[in-house]
Amino acid sequence: MSDGPKKTINKITKGFAKHGYICSDQISTAVYLASELEKPILIEGPPGVGKTELANTAAMYFKKELIRLQCYEGLDESKALYEWRYGKQLLYTQILKEQMQEVLEGAKGLKESLSRLMKFEDIFFSEDFLESRPLLKALTSDKGTVLLIDEVDKSDEEFEALLLEILSEFQISIPELGVREAKVKPLVMLTSNNSREIGDALKRRCLHLYIPFPDAKLERQIVQARVPDISESIQIQLVNFVQGIRELDLKKQPAISETIDWAKTLILLNSEELDAKLAEETLNILLKHQQDIEVVKKEIPALISRATETSDGKSIN
Amino acid sequence: MEKVLTDFVKALRNSNVRVSPAETLDAMSVIDEVGYDDRELLKRSLSIVLPKTPDEKQKFETCFDDFFTDEIKVQEPITLKELKDIEDVESDLAKSLLEGSQAELMISIADAAEASEIREIRYFTQRSVFTRRILEKMGVGKLEDELLQIGSSREEDLPTDLEQELRNQLTGLRERVSDYVQQQFLLHGDVSGEQLREQVFKSMNMAQIDRSYLHEVHSLVRKMAKKLANLHSRRKKNFRRGKLDIRKTIRENWVNQGVLFNLSWSYKKVDRPKIYVICDVSGSVGAYARFMLMFLFSLTEVVSKLRAFVFSSNLGEVTDEFKDSNLDVAIETALQKHGGGSTDYGQALTDFVSLCIDEIDKKTTVVILGDARNNFGPEKAHLMKIIKERSKQVFWLNPEGKYRWNTGDSVMTTYSAYCTKVFQCGNIEQLERVISTLLKTAI
Repeated sequence: MSDGPKKTINKITKGFAKHGYICSDQISTAVYLASELEKPILIEGPPGVGKTELANTAAMYFKKELIRLQCYEGLDESKALYEWRYGKQLLYTQILKEQMQEVLEGAKGLKESLSRLMKFEDIFFSEDFLESRPLLKALTSDKGTVLLIDEVDKSDEEFEALLLEILSEFQISIPELGVREAKVKPLVMLTSNNSREIGDALKRRCLHLYIPFPDAKLERQIVQARVPDISESIQIQLVNFVQGIRELDLKKQPAISETIDWAKTLILLNSEELDAKLAEETLNILLKHQQDIEVVKKEIPALISRATETSDGKSIN
Repeated sequence: MEKVLTDFVKALRNSNVRVSPAETLDAMSVIDEVGYDDRELLKRSLSIVLPKTPDEKQKFETCFDDFFTDEIKVQEPITLKELKDIEDVESDLAKSLLEGSQAELMISIADAAEASEIREIRYFTQRSVFTRRILEKMGVGKLEDELLQIGSSREEDLPTDLEQELRNQLTGLRERVSDYVQQQFLLHGDVSGEQLREQVFKSMNMAQIDRSYLHEVHSLVRKMAKKLANLHSRRKKNFRRGKLDIRKTIRENWVNQGVLFNLSWSYKKVDRPKIYVICDVSGSVGAYARFMLMFLFSLTEVVSKLRAFVFSSNLGEVTDEFKDSNLDVAIETALQKHGGGSTDYGQALTDFVSLCIDEIDKKTTVVILGDARNNFGPEKAHLMKIIKERSKQVFWLNPEGKYRWNTGDSVMTTYSAYCTKVFQCGNIEQLERVISTLLKTAI
């Protein structure tokens, strides 16, 4: 709070830009609030707008380790939370059997044997046999971490319920050992592509950030940051062209990552100007469905003329 | 300041943004963090805590702009000294307009609003009524009379300063009251209207719902279907074969000194029902069929194996049409292709049996929607018997009220002998109940 929220937010924007991530005010405000309020943040948006990248950059910016948990169907606690080292546990019981002789030596009667057995230290369920998985690792880290739970929507609903305790209390209950609390609360980021509606309980515990496709101005900045070699004129044309495509009715809209790939391609081809032929030949980098390519092909002349027109007058912000 | 926030949350809820108390608390800590000074920052910050879907974000935007409008500007009265004849005004309202502070005025508006039961405001159209009621309660009538008197008694053509000032203040007051009513409407009204409408749709006979509401009903139906889908999609069965889950097996068996007695398998199976729907789309039940199909196809998320057939006399399959195209178009084409003719259940059953009797097995549920009015044609009930024997269960949904079954050309009893269960299914609420039973038992 020393700097006041506005300054801190600006600092985040600039800091992220240094790491090559251009973010809108909305994004930096979300990052600021998440770190101030120590709340997890659920990031939604179409694929390829930089959701995962945001977590990467946040880790770099806050100089913390990034722990990533990729979700998929069938992910369960033994892969996400913790796991016992069963092999070693079984060996331990073997050793225990041999040790038993010594412990019980000279004991008279069942009662005494039992009381000796009770006194005997049992480490069957203890830290020694505990294998930490990403979520537990993130909590037990001394320096604090950025925990990225990627594509939560791909996991099962049961797994979502598993996350609730971690997200609201920053703790994990291990039945055999008790509650493990976070030493330093991690900055948690969850991403979702909305292939399935995330449950209300989970949403309620998180801040919610929706990253849409960027407007032309922001996208130009992003291309500039990621592909610095590109000439200004073609960069403007390219971004306007992509923005035009997004207005069409397509199966999958081209994302920022695809714009960047396309920009790199155009540099590789040494192109100075975006023309219809070039656009048609490289369209498959931007669009991933044959149907979409067919649709866009028809529109290319119109899109090109609009893209170059606006780039001359720079009328699009 | 907390009052402002809770009022805002209330307004958000009214515009259908779901905000839980926990989220309100979050919003408070956010405001502690960023303060009220910077409007844009506040908006950005709150939009991260309160709305949780893109759709809600949009509603939040409008709601925020409406709620935190710029302060209403009311002209300050001309300094009292300039008005020589201030003692002459008689009505209370005029006095308080000229002498009272803005805060007092606001309080008296709120009082008058309370007295006119502003909380009861429900509809957009009631705003002017409430504005007038509040103004009357505040004594605008008297003030207007007084203004008339002053106007008629003056000698010059030009209105006096006092008169001019009173008129200005009165206009200001009107604006203020109407803004106040608008704000209260946002808080108390609107949505209850929407909820009311949903309620009405749910319990209304489906055939009676006007076509122009079809869109709204569709979204209602989809909402219900989603709820049911969520409820029933979770059932999972443990496989008895497949890949052994070694960890779990060791874990569960270490109590047996590591001897593996109980095995657990790593796959879980989501059991999904197979449903065949046969829908009568002849003239008499066309309107019901529309909703029935709408509902079932909103359910395709859970029911992966659903096939739909429609008939009036000859039976035709419409599964692909529904899966590929927009629902509205699909329903229209289905009704156009097969609908409207005179009903022949016997023929339809014959077609159905010859088309897909081989695919019907003990996991299949067959649902028939129709009024069983057969135009006195052959019933062919033995076909129903075959279907019943091969399938897991047969449901019959009849949109007509029970008292009309078996009257005229209806042969409900004949068919119901071969049905696992027969439902009356005339409105959306009943439909929801039926589908819920269907999903419960079909799995």
